[in-house]
Amino acid sequence: MRVWSKALVGGVAIALAVSGCAGSSGDSPSTSSQAPSGPREITVWLMNGSAPKGLLDSLNKEFESTHKDVKVKYEEQQWNGIQDKLTTALASNDAPDLIEIGNTQAPKFASEGVLEDVTADADSFNGANWLPSLKDSGSWDGKQYAVPFYAANREVLYRKDLFEKAGITTPPKSRQEWLDAITKLKAANASDPEFQALYLPGQNWYTLASFIWDEGGDIAKKDGTKFTASLSTPEAKAGLEFYKQLVDASGTKAPKDADEQTPEQAGIYAQGHVAMMIALPWEVATAAKSDPSIKDKTSAFPIPSKTAGKTAPVFQGGSDLAIPANSKDKDLAKDYLKLITSDKYQAEFAKAGMIPGTSKDVSALEADPVNAAMAAASKNGHALPATPGWATVEAGQNPLKDMLTAYLTGAKQIDAATKDADDALNKAFSGS
Amino acid sequence: MTTTVDTARSAGTPPPAARPGARRRARRPLADVAVPYLMMLPAVVLIVALLGWPAIQVLLISFRKLDLGELVKGKVVWVGFDNYTNVLSDPGFWEIGLRTVLFTAGAVVATLLLGLGIALLMRHLSRWVRIVLQVSLVLAWATPIIATTTVFQWIFDQQYGILNKTLVKLGFDSFQGHSWFSTGGDVLIVIGLLVVWQAVPFIAFTLYAGLIGTSKDLYEAVALDGAGGWQAFRAVSWPAVKPLLTMVTFLSVLWDFKVIAQVWAMRQGGPDGGSTTLPVLLYLRGIAASHFGIASAVAVLMLIVLVAITWRYMRLLIRSPETEL
Repeated sequence: MRVWSKALVGGVAIALAVSGCAGSSGDSPSTSSQAPSGPREITVWLMNGSAPKGLLDSLNKEFESTHKDVKVKYEEQQWNGIQDKLTTALASNDAPDLIEIGNTQAPKFASEGVLEDVTADADSFNGANWLPSLKDSGSWDGKQYAVPFYAANREVLYRKDLFEKAGITTPPKSRQEWLDAITKLKAANASDPEFQALYLPGQNWYTLASFIWDEGGDIAKKDGTKFTASLSTPEAKAGLEFYKQLVDASGTKAPKDADEQTPEQAGIYAQGHVAMMIALPWEVATAAKSDPSIKDKTSAFPIPSKTAGKTAPVFQGGSDLAIPANSKDKDLAKDYLKLITSDKYQAEFAKAGMIPGTSKDVSALEADPVNAAMAAASKNGHALPATPGWATVEAGQNPLKDMLTAYLTGAKQIDAATKDADDALNKAFSGS
Repeated sequence: MTTTVDTARSAGTPPPAARPGARRRARRPLADVAVPYLMMLPAVVLIVALLGWPAIQVLLISFRKLDLGELVKGKVVWVGFDNYTNVLSDPGFWEIGLRTVLFTAGAVVATLLLGLGIALLMRHLSRWVRIVLQVSLVLAWATPIIATTTVFQWIFDQQYGILNKTLVKLGFDSFQGHSWFSTGGDVLIVIGLLVVWQAVPFIAFTLYAGLIGTSKDLYEAVALDGAGGWQAFRAVSWPAVKPLLTMVTFLSVLWDFKVIAQVWAMRQGGPDGGSTTLPVLLYLRGIAASHFGIASAVAVLMLIVLVAITWRYMRLLIRSPETEL
């Protein structure tokens, strides 16, 4: 009996050790208590690095001046761990009133019915000008649960001086011209053993998505709310083959089993031996931290399409805004949304180098060549499959990354690699 | 309240009934009997509230469907063994389970051998060398897990890693651009090295503490009897470290079995899921996908595996007088 009870204590001790891994579902974040009746408060959660500070200050001021006795409680959130934090916040009785969610996380929240349905209010949120890719990510089963906020997409950053040296006068406008430019760059820099015409790590799957869409394929086919992975289609395979062709032709020394973050590609670009990389506009600033002179040497062009003169479709990453179902001040949240989605404030996003989510005016981006290339490509922006399973794909083991590495290293043939990726994606979509 | 008292007993105090003086107890006033338990009560309540309750919650949640929607709306949906059938019917679970057990075994054995070796070495080193070694151990131990993991990632990096560069400089040209992460097994070996590197200091210090308890006279005595190094170790050192070794084995198994930060940070359980262990599976299937019922089911299954592996050690711990609390 004594041994048994002691063993039980031991068992409980292990249970705790193990439950340490699972414990995050229990605790709720420490938001302050509800404001007393009378003066009201609206809690707004935006992400670190999203809306520029100046914009928020004037926006909050305008909101408070038009709403007597209402205080805006603005809280900046960190991307790291935001999904778990949102989960607990949405479940609490004191949920925030307006939240920003990454567009690939949006379907997960939309499909679970934890967000307010805003289909009927679309018009008051500048609905006619919504960015289609972000609109898709915020809708589920024909209803709109999240409103576009802002977006960005990748482009090819290139070194003007190295292009000049290689005798390339205009940026490539088709895949063939792109490959020709690589050949010329390699020839002009043959004396530099560390030279890479294009830095392209094996797992830059956003770029792969571009190529697949350009071929007319897609990552998954949609049927109502059901998605089926379609990487085994001839179009998707052609996209994957072009990726490999580009990796082989460019002589990139980037790892085949890592993405553009490990090691951070902007740091490699800043070392001066890389002529091009597929990146977001603000990676120029990251590179300039190591070498300030690189900013003036860098320009950009949209990822070229296989059809000459067109730009390839691009994945549009960004954010949506949503009202949690548990919010106590939905009316105020809607008023706030109306304000932030208005042309006046959306123009500020373009000035800050982002594609506005509820405005078609991107003229502010055109002043800077790096931003202009993004704006040009943005007209052909695409969304990832808007299924709750996608959050799982990005949170962990992304089958597209595994497929790329397996195919590029020769571990799997194209048929096996695409089939395995389809199976893994379908498993994630099925939600178990 | 009876459960509380039971736990209090099992936490280490021998039950009064087992004492020879038990017969006299009946005559002692009730207050005398109650006071020790009352004094323990706050601690016991805390332990049960902070440790016992979450554990029971995990068990209960494992029988519920608890996704994001249920969590937010506060719905309680019982699904019986559905979560368990879901997890166990996946052939990947068994593969991952076996991989986790093998990884744990490898890491624990390597940690213990190295720790014991260093503990013995420390006894024979001169004072200054020993201090340098001890400081190095403490530093290795004190470095945050993620910092160490990042350093290891850099060391083993394919293009820019110092390991490949050094090997090439030494003349092993085939290591130019060699990938140390090309298969799941390779990744787990690197993670294992990292885990062992972080775990050895504690083990070494604990065993060393056991060793300094033995008097130098004993070693001199066996040396006079003509014992060599190995015999001295068996006759003097081994009895001194054995109970500690039992305890640190038990602890190491627990730690290494549930290690997740290093595994996740290194390659997110890749390539192609090849280095996924049970805690990673729990995170992916449960937390990342917001299926908290499934997460709890995996946690309970991990607990069962752990109890199965450590059953013998737990009995040893409970029975051996040296570790009596």
